[in-house]
Amino acid sequence: MLSRREFLRGSAAAAVYPLLGNCTEPPRWERDTYRRSANSRVAILGARSYEEPLKDTVLRGIKLFQLDLKGKVIVLKPNLVEFDPNGVINTNPLVVEAAIDAFKSLGARDVIVAEGPGHRRDNEYLLQASGLYDVVREHRIRYVDLNSDDVRPTRLRSRFTNLQQLYLPETLYNADLLVSMPKLKTHHWAGVTLSLKNMFGVVPGAVYGWPKNVLHWAGIDNSILDINSSLPIPQFAIVDGIVGMEGNGPLQGDAKKTGVLIFGNDLVAVDATAARVMKIEPRKIKYLEIAGDFLGNLAYDRIEQIGEPLEKFQQDFRVIKNFQDLKTLTG
Amino acid sequence: MLQDAKALLLDSQNPDGGWGSAKGKRSNTEATSLAVMALELLEQDSKAAHIRNGITWLTQRQSADGSWPLNDSAKTSSWTTAMAMLALGLWPEHQSRVVSAAKWALQQEGNRPGLLAHLLFALTFKKKALDIDVDLLAWPWTSGSFSWVEPTSYYLIALKKLKGKLTGTNSDERIKQGEMMIYDRICKDGGWNYGNNAVLGENLWPYPDVTAIALISLQDHAAAEANRQSMRALQEMLKDVHSGLALSWSVICLSLYGQDTTKWKELLAQDFEKTRFIGETKSIALSVLALSDGAKYFRV
Repeated sequence: MLSRREFLRGSAAAAVYPLLGNCTEPPRWERDTYRRSANSRVAILGARSYEEPLKDTVLRGIKLFQLDLKGKVIVLKPNLVEFDPNGVINTNPLVVEAAIDAFKSLGARDVIVAEGPGHRRDNEYLLQASGLYDVVREHRIRYVDLNSDDVRPTRLRSRFTNLQQLYLPETLYNADLLVSMPKLKTHHWAGVTLSLKNMFGVVPGAVYGWPKNVLHWAGIDNSILDINSSLPIPQFAIVDGIVGMEGNGPLQGDAKKTGVLIFGNDLVAVDATAARVMKIEPRKIKYLEIAGDFLGNLAYDRIEQIGEPLEKFQQDFRVIKNFQDLKTLTG
Repeated sequence: MLQDAKALLLDSQNPDGGWGSAKGKRSNTEATSLAVMALELLEQDSKAAHIRNGITWLTQRQSADGSWPLNDSAKTSSWTTAMAMLALGLWPEHQSRVVSAAKWALQQEGNRPGLLAHLLFALTFKKKALDIDVDLLAWPWTSGSFSWVEPTSYYLIALKKLKGKLTGTNSDERIKQGEMMIYDRICKDGGWNYGNNAVLGENLWPYPDVTAIALISLQDHAAAEANRQSMRALQEMLKDVHSGLALSWSVICLSLYGQDTTKWKELLAQDFEKTRFIGETKSIALSVLALSDGAKYFRV
């Protein structure tokens, strides 16, 4: 029996195929957007709980990538999409705090915490409820609400949506490195939400509304690809997998203790590794599969796992019924 | 507290006359609209220069079709049109601008799934993804997207305030449909989330700010059971809320429903002292409206 996804794919293909004739499909990304190298490195470091000192672990993870951080402006982008006092939706503020300390100690001129929550407009509530307000206040760090930041029209460098351009926050243009800090979570529409999907939060709600609904109409998978191919500054990722979320993520799933932080400067490779930690096949996540063609490395044998072995942290994350086919690991 | 809030607003006004989302940010329609409303309450002289400059910023940004953009960078017509309608509506000399914006708003509607999408969803979803009526005609944040509770509420308030001035238009029908849409999205135990009340069969929880704004837009149905249930939900949510945005909208809402706001006003003033509402213009201006007599600006 066909799954819903197979049926939808089949229906879409059937509708479009007769129109294509013998045409060759035009390239969907600009040549200089191609950034897949021969191999990528992803660091997997154990961190049993939020209570243990995390700064050293985060510092070690960042150092493995020999980033030039002296005098640079770093934007940390955690996931603050929503808050549930009984849930594990957000990147834990202690991981963000550890990253602030680590980037500062590595010579960053300025570290900014920035997020454009996808559901709630009420930043003040989210900051306080999540505990992030205390962190930014204590460290005298600037917090920028990316939903209402000044914006700049940005031409999209790939053509997966028909949007052509997106307004992106000025804060990104004034920084040197964007650090995606997602929570390790399953997602009921996209399969998984990790460092690439986390970039939905850089799209300003004041322009596109909540929950960035223009992107949903343009297709979640397609939007993830267009956003990530068009970000104006280099990216790095730190995935908070100390406690992840399984089942009906990204909001209503269940906590899953995984005890891991995942680092890397190839966000596709980071997400592929994070998916494998969840025992989810990254090649079955539509946006990851396509991102692996040009934005980074997806194949297991092209990703050098450094730090601790992936297998040590692998956990069987539950997914909703519609995504059962993601659970067959092939590599 | 009101004088401190006023000082913050005056200090953050941009040289172009408008206000940004926070000090130093580019002027935008929402922040400028709320700031001029707040200052109008606090000033003896409603023609004071900073108010006049704010109004000028707004009037100069109105598009030929009657709508407002978000700001000078994002120039497409925006949800903030409703905010500008509410602000300029305070000045009789700008009534024609407000009516022109209303006529634009009456032509706007959220995207609805096409026939094929309806069919696919009906055929392929075992569990209904969204248990809502997607065909109800309401308002999106921006064109090319679905209708949502918050922008619909803003437009309902702005349009209802123009009662009698929109003869010959479809305003009555749009208001009715907009109200139906908001009632359709009500959460299981009352109140409103940002949009949907459930996803994949799982109930979503209400937000205090959205609930307050929705209730304000439905204030002319105060006796309806859905309103009373949502008012109870709001009162319950307020026990755990510490934010300028949520508390301000809630106080305005409770005032309009004739409820006692004393303790929430105290809490609002206390929170202002603690966080200054993280410098957000909209929250500072709304708190002025909440702590003064600003609810009257939202009475329909």
